Amino acid sequence: MKVSVYGIGTSSFGKQPGMSAARLVEAAVLEAIDDADVQLDEIDAVYVGTVFGEAGVATRTLQQVGIDRVPIITLENACASGTTAYHEAVWSVETGRFRRVLALGVETMTAHFAGAIHPENVDAEGRQGMALPSVYAMSAARYQSEFGLTDEELALVSVKNHLHGMENPRAQHRRAVTIEEVLESRMVADPLTLLQCCSISDASAAAVIGPARSSVRDVRVRSTVLRSGGLWDHRSDRVWGFDLVAETARLAYEEAGVSAADADVIEVHDAFTIGEIVTTEALGLAPPGEGGKLLLNGHTRIGGAQPVNPSGGLLSRGHPLGATGIAQVAEIVWQLRGDAGGRQVEGARIGLVETMGGGTAGVDGNACVVTLLER
Amino acid sequence: MSGQRHEQSVGEQSPGGPAGIDPRPHVVSDGDPGIGSYVEGRRCSECRYPTFHPAIRCAVCGGSMEPDRYGPAGTVFSATVVRIAIPGRVPPYGLAYVDLDDGPRILGHVTESESALQPGDRVQLVGATEAGDPLVRLLGMGAAG
Repeated sequence: MKVSVYGIGTSSFGKQPGMSAARLVEAAVLEAIDDADVQLDEIDAVYVGTVFGEAGVATRTLQQVGIDRVPIITLENACASGTTAYHEAVWSVETGRFRRVLALGVETMTAHFAGAIHPENVDAEGRQGMALPSVYAMSAARYQSEFGLTDEELALVSVKNHLHGMENPRAQHRRAVTIEEVLESRMVADPLTLLQCCSISDASAAAVIGPARSSVRDVRVRSTVLRSGGLWDHRSDRVWGFDLVAETARLAYEEAGVSAADADVIEVHDAFTIGEIVTTEALGLAPPGEGGKLLLNGHTRIGGAQPVNPSGGLLSRGHPLGATGIAQVAEIVWQLRGDAGGRQVEGARIGLVETMGGGTAGVDGNACVVTLLER
Repeated sequence: MSGQRHEQSVGEQSPGGPAGIDPRPHVVSDGDPGIGSYVEGRRCSECRYPTFHPAIRCAVCGGSMEPDRYGPAGTVFSATVVRIAIPGRVPPYGLAYVDLDDGPRILGHVTESESALQPGDRVQLVGATEAGDPLVRLLGMGAAG
């Protein structure tokens, strides 16, 4: 592709009921614009990812930072909404529709939820009380039965990502946890305990996308692919989402001309611990059933061959749905520039972001985005 | 409803539930509730794809759909127990993905909620919960595979 990420910015992440969507967006956009070394009036269009944002949230917030009159396009793809906005922004530049585009994600979740996210009552499973943790709990239970993954191995995802997140000043939870603490925390949906579930969060993240230019700080987009899931039904032996992530990743590798082994640093959708294990397998880092080994042998921790979620992931950073995908892109940009401080992955040249959105019964996922970046 | 057919509370609207069309699998029982319960759905007249949705065209091949019923027996694909509160629900409650024999995969509630069913367990559809959710019960010990 002939497209680069010029600059990125984020608000802090956490339960911030005192911060309006406008103040979160302001923090993310002003940092991204400054980081990109462009002017506000050079932005030709904005793609916005948000899930629970009230009607008009994009226009209402952007006018307060001085972005108006340009096309503002709001997209919803569940947890992958932010990455979908990024994906569309990249392709709008690649195809020449716009020149400099802002990809923006925003979510004020404490205004909408006291606890776990649950799908709409019009959904066959949402109507039955299928909270999002139970969607992933179903995967965890099936995976454990099929491959013998232990509760301790599941907990290691949370231990690793919380350890990584201690070095991320913007993360919601900056505290190391032990296997025992993870397993002894309150059971949410068997076998997933509280410390294996990401937190709802209020935040915004932004990225300025444009045609490749000579700036040494820019990060090139090698590929970005967006797919929706196929039917997930009685014919599906795989856990929910595996096939969608695997297919999206395969296309993204193909488009970029790289393989899984080429990724030096990776951000994946660890909304729940099992999500990271299944996703690392779907990305091709381990054969099916062996994702737990990546944690046991240190392959995916900082210092290992292919660190996964050096930011702390969703488990540590928090999960403001619309902002998450662009926050993942921001982490990879910092990593590839060598700006990631105490969580820096040394010598990282190629980065990968994967985001998975779900909550709709009967399909393998609402949307998955996989993008490869290089500097 | 006429004759012996007894409609469970799963219908177009469930008592005390949200307004609007009920998207859940539609459970019906012949005779005594809890003995012979089925999910009323559709099956493709061409590729035989089964679904619990009242679809008129097959989502797989585009063929025309005809009425069919599924259950009462099935096999657990996976299961969990939800132990946190979400609006309108009182924890804990057991949930299971059940592949009904020669039928679709449905989500159902489980009669016992202390511990989760295991993948491979054989279960039987026994009607609906008070809230109108399909309800399954463990038939015996876990089947192989």
